[in-house]
Amino acid sequence: MTIELRKFGTTLISRQTGKEAFLAAQSLLKDVKEGETLEVDFDGVLTFSPSWGDEFLTPLLNTYGDRLVLKNTSNLSVKATLEILQTTLGKQFKVID
Amino acid sequence: MNDNIEKDDFITISEAAELLAVSIMTLRRWDESGRLSSVRRKEGGHRYYRKKDIEVFLEDLFSLAKDWVLSNAEFPKGFYCQTSAIFLARITKMETLMMQNKDAKDMFSLLTSVAGEIGNNSYDHNIGKWIDTPGIFFGYDLNKKQIVLADRGVGILETLRGVKPELKTHKEALEVAFTEIISSRRPEARGNGLKYVRNVISKNPINLAFQTGDAKLTMQGNSANLNIENVKEDLRGCLVLISY
Repeated sequence: MTIELRKFGTTLISRQTGKEAFLAAQSLLKDVKEGETLEVDFDGVLTFSPSWGDEFLTPLLNTYGDRLVLKNTSNLSVKATLEILQTTLGKQFKVID
Repeated sequence: MNDNIEKDDFITISEAAELLAVSIMTLRRWDESGRLSSVRRKEGGHRYYRKKDIEVFLEDLFSLAKDWVLSNAEFPKGFYCQTSAIFLARITKMETLMMQNKDAKDMFSLLTSVAGEIGNNSYDHNIGKWIDTPGIFFGYDLNKKQIVLADRGVGILETLRGVKPELKTHKEALEVAFTEIISSRRPEARGNGLKYVRNVISKNPINLAFQTGDAKLTMQGNSANLNIENVKEDLRGCLVLISY
């Protein structure tokens, strides 16, 4: 399954909106089958920040682990955010481009 | 007023009040204190304002923000974001303008995320604790290449004491905020936003001045060095200047 982040907005920067997005995503996530890969696509995202990312990506990484795959992460703020989240969490995201 | 000067160069006090989004009373006070001077056609007559003076006044974002955090001085409402939703709307506008601006377009996402983290920190850490005015000052000037943010919240020291009660000074608190990874504690989540800010600045031509209480941190672009010093003016909350 693929989650297109741009459907949640293109300026993804606050903790509050990250939390709302995560709650909204639950209805999509219930269809992820056991063993299925969950792709999060950053295509179209203009600005991303650690606050939003921590609310949305951190719980996904904790739940799906290696099955979580991030793609189209070349935006500078996406790259910088993933870097700090990985340092904070002590875990790596699986990224494909 | 000098009659040789075109009347078009001047506006009335009510027009100035509308333009700056402050009350006429405030303009009179600013006039008396010299903060924004008016001119009069004749002694004791109506106050008029030079359009140029209003422009210059609005351009000095840092002074407007500083006067607010230091002494709760009124400032033009266009810079006030009472809630994070208003801040989000205004920072999205900045992002759009930056994408079309020659000086900012290569770094627009980093500048927006850095300003976003600092601004959102103010809301996340002060919710339910605002002392007098909820919300933040947020202004930017793409010609001067600067972004100004400020809040009259509790400041970094009091915020961090919640997790590190041993902290004593604003200086120590600033250092911790920019250097130590503080693990996420639910329900009080922390995004380590200021470590992110430092990381971005260390690799990009973005400068930062961040004051809280009586401590001021400065960072020069493309360097991770933090210069933290005590300053004379002790301010409430935070006052931040990002330049690029």
